[in-house]
Amino acid sequence: MTEEMILQVAVAAVGAFGFGLLFRVSGGRLLTITLGGAANWIFYLLAMQAYADRVLAFFLSALATAVLAEILARLLKTPVITLLVPMLVPLVPGGDLYYTTFSLVRGDMEAFGQYGSMVIREAGAMSFGIILVACGVQTAMKIWMLRKEHGEKDTK
Amino acid sequence: MQQQEQILCAILDAGELLLTAGAEVARVEDTIRRMAAAYGFGRADVLTITASMIVTAQSNDGAVLTQTRRILRRETNMRQIEAVNALSREVCAHPMPLEQFHARLDAVRHMDDGPRWRQPIAYLIIAGAFAVFFGGTWRDGIAAMLCSIVLYFIGQMGARIDLQPLVLTTFSAAAMCLAAIVTVWIGLGQGLDYIIIGNIMLLIPGIAFVTSLRDMIVGDTISGLLGAFEALLRALAIAAGCALVLMQLGGTV
Repeated sequence: MTEEMILQVAVAAVGAFGFGLLFRVSGGRLLTITLGGAANWIFYLLAMQAYADRVLAFFLSALATAVLAEILARLLKTPVITLLVPMLVPLVPGGDLYYTTFSLVRGDMEAFGQYGSMVIREAGAMSFGIILVACGVQTAMKIWMLRKEHGEKDTK
Repeated sequence: MQQQEQILCAILDAGELLLTAGAEVARVEDTIRRMAAAYGFGRADVLTITASMIVTAQSNDGAVLTQTRRILRRETNMRQIEAVNALSREVCAHPMPLEQFHARLDAVRHMDDGPRWRQPIAYLIIAGAFAVFFGGTWRDGIAAMLCSIVLYFIGQMGARIDLQPLVLTTFSAAAMCLAAIVTVWIGLGQGLDYIIIGNIMLLIPGIAFVTSLRDMIVGDTISGLLGAFEALLRALAIAAGCALVLMQLGGTV
């Protein structure tokens, strides 16, 4: 890890903490969110190192973070969304959204197309990661419920 | 009969609290259905979208009750979501008398929001951290913090005069860009881009987008589309606000 990466992870954690504060998350969960924000950006950096593809790294990082949030939410007995959203904040493509606007204002249509499609791909990759985990959890819950029902019938 | 109507109304109150605090639609519907079952309604049909709630409940003695709610404004309050969630677990385990239920709902509604400095501090932290995160120097971080103060006060004023959220977002983005240009002009900020991006993170509807995606997966296509489109409009409003200022002054610094 370079110095720059360490700085990025640190400010990602601080940013996630800020959003936890903004969304009125209370007490010990703030710490969870802070660490989760750091983990989110570490996932991204690891994926980036392995595949060197920004969009793929966004997807993998969102996937890993969503799994982490689902597990933590069950451990802490809190709705998933209270953890997931602040933890994913470092992946929100605010930078590219700005550059898209800026290139449009300057009339640089080539850059506008490039940044614009980047925003769409990044947001898409991120949501696909979230969707996959949500689907997986839903399926797992259904199977678990079915097995529980079956188990109860067998014991009768 | 009268009693049942009041119970259903209280259940809807709980659902409304959840929805206005930013919970996913699926969670709201699920909570209402469970609570209705706990209070002895044999069947409850719930339709919730981000703008409205409709419940028709059938009690076991054959009465059919319908109530609706119009939802106008949503914000994010995770603490309230957690509190209603806990309350609903309790109700489902042991249905409490109506008066007690009302009292508990009131307690959640007027819940301590935490210290008053919580929001402004959050603004400072977020803007500063993300200005650095996206590549700015520490001086850009401080400049971004200053701009976030402008953003905070405009947000407060807008809420006071009940400005349309989209109009407010456009104004906020424009004012924030103007403030960012000023900080660079007086020599504090170095990278205008990073200062603005740090503050854009405060305006971007990340939460609305994620919740609407989750809604769509679990089958609430209407609410999901509504939420996603609202988020898209917000993003466009931010872009418009920034463009308004940058088009005039973007080249001067």
